[in-house]
Amino acid sequence: MSYYDLDAILTDAEKVPCKFELDVPDLGYLDNNPSQGLKAQTPVSLPLWLAELLALSSRTQSSNPEDSAPFLTLEMPKALSNEVVSALKADPRAVALRDQTHNMYGLATRMLDLFEEPEMCAVLRRTFVTRAAETALHARKAGATDDVVRGEGFLSGLEEWERSLFRRAHDGNKACKEWMEGVKK
Amino acid sequence: MYGDLGNKLVHHAKRAQNLAHLPPYQTELVRAVTREVRDLEKDLADMLESFEGGFDPHADQAKSCTMLVNHLSIRRNKRCLLAYHRTRTDKLEELVWKGYDLVDLPGQQVSSNSGSNLAATDTSSSSLSPQEEDYVRQYSDLLAAYKGQWTDIDLTGSLEPPRDLFIDVRVLKDAGEIQTEYGAITLTKNSQFYVRQGDVERLIAQGYLQKLG
Amino acid sequence: MALPLPQGLVPTEVAFLCEMEMVTVVPRQRLESIPLLSGDTPVLRPPHRAPMPLWLALLLKKQRRANIVPPAWLHPASLADIIHHETNVDPQAFSPPPPPPTRADGRTGRARPFQENIRSSREAPKPGDDPRLAPPFLPSCTADAPGGYLPYHWLELAEALLAHAADDVPAAAEVRSLLRDLQEVRAAKMRGSTQSLEGGGGVVVLRGVGAMELAESRAFVLGVVDGVRKLGASAEATRRDEEANGGGGRYGGGGGRGDFEDSDEEMEF
Repeated sequence: MSYYDLDAILTDAEKVPCKFELDVPDLGYLDNNPSQGLKAQTPVSLPLWLAELLALSSRTQSSNPEDSAPFLTLEMPKALSNEVVSALKADPRAVALRDQTHNMYGLATRMLDLFEEPEMCAVLRRTFVTRAAETALHARKAGATDDVVRGEGFLSGLEEWERSLFRRAHDGNKACKEWMEGVKK
Repeated sequence: MYGDLGNKLVHHAKRAQNLAHLPPYQTELVRAVTREVRDLEKDLADMLESFEGGFDPHADQAKSCTMLVNHLSIRRNKRCLLAYHRTRTDKLEELVWKGYDLVDLPGQQVSSNSGSNLAATDTSSSSLSPQEEDYVRQYSDLLAAYKGQWTDIDLTGSLEPPRDLFIDVRVLKDAGEIQTEYGAITLTKNSQFYVRQGDVERLIAQGYLQKLG
Repeated sequence: MALPLPQGLVPTEVAFLCEMEMVTVVPRQRLESIPLLSGDTPVLRPPHRAPMPLWLALLLKKQRRANIVPPAWLHPASLADIIHHETNVDPQAFSPPPPPPTRADGRTGRARPFQENIRSSREAPKPGDDPRLAPPFLPSCTADAPGGYLPYHWLELAEALLAHAADDVPAAAEVRSLLRDLQEVRAAKMRGSTQSLEGGGGVVVLRGVGAMELAESRAFVLGVVDGVRKLGASAEATRRDEEANGGGGRYGGGGGRGDFEDSDEEMEF
């Protein structure tokens, strides 16, 4: 992941549910309530770039990692909730990932860094591979045209990683077709 | 919330990545994000000043949390700003390698495949910031100096393997006289020539000539 | 020049490289040897067959100065055999590439490089001075090439011959349609090749895949492999940590097993 990678930056902007572990009078604006101040345990939704480090850094002076207290605790975002994971387990193709979030897998890799979820990891891997094959099939069907239609059905539900796969598969097909038509000249 | 404007900027950059041309520079947005960084920085400085050098992050956890949030917001904005500009300079470098001059770039609506509609829209306002224009100018100079070291290889030439060394071309715009190994050719509009591909590649890319067949 | 450059060779580059493949020509006119960078071409004396690089053979063909002898694998029966192998014998893998030339007794001159052919065009080949060539540098598209196996440049060479020397290819129409079938079958396998990554089942076997097929699918396949790697990265890091700390200690909690298996596979890339 590069510092300048736009997709990484946009994934960083994905919101995750979290709760502060302490009262912070100056941060009321994070809960759309600037005058009130932020009370501990208020549920808020913060972008990863903010929440992750607040969850990882310690507010107390202790060298022992066992009793370090973070500023806030994170929860799994809705896009990776049990319902979504179960649905993906049942049929990876039936879920429009894009409706969950545009950066489904990007977000997932970030969350898997923070939470140990072997089951989710396995489901996502299967989802990714199964949908990739489907994506390649659609890319081939889309043919050698320049106007990529992803208007309806499966293709409209592709999230960013999958869109990039679609583009790769489509560009490969297109370059090959163009060469083939060119041979005759 | 802090960082929202920076996010918008990155969305602009993302869109620009997939376009053939460069959309207008977001002067206002860049200014707004920079202002946000300055405000945050000032808040931080004020907060620190109130402690008069005796700040203990573990004693006042709420304050240190606020300061960390401020700091992270600044860092986030910085990353957005840098990524936005980097995406644009990458694009500009690509255009320079493709042979566009600074004069081609303002309001350019280039379709790289046909090359015949260079004058589609001629807006007078540049889509580049003054700094970017300067960047293009200096990068072009750098590239020209680099290319100048090899006279018989055109580093910016097409990477497509040639099918034939000689091709038929039609002249779309008067391009004056060019020198080739086989003597001078005067390229007047609507005439056709059988020429060495390497001699005219540049003119095809610039839309003066069209390759036939 | 468009930056950034694409990963690997693009189709037009692959086709260009294919033009260096040796093919067999039957000259219709005499032609003296031409000194090329790759060596001198053989002297052409009708009706003696001679090896030529494809690009020169096509040029001579266009000028009606020579005919091209298509390789054995391009005959309809050979293609039908290969399709049978791809669909019935081994529907998972790609059909194997041509075997390496046998040297010991049954040398057929198949692996003879260009230069040696010139020297020996009139005399019998001397056994023993034959540098071993490995695919894809074997002259696998000459008339001597074995039938029933697709060489590295099969698609490009077939297309070029059908486009410019169709009258030299026996049953060209049939060959054309068999090639289309073959392409479809193999493209489906290529798409499916990533499926084995699904449950952590290892490596995609790409043995026997042609240059053009690689150029077409390289970006996609690498994209999938990279995605799987990223999704498993944290599990892999955990596994390595545990291995370093406890000599292969397992997770305390349940459900860790599947994860271990996954990341084990990850190592094989």
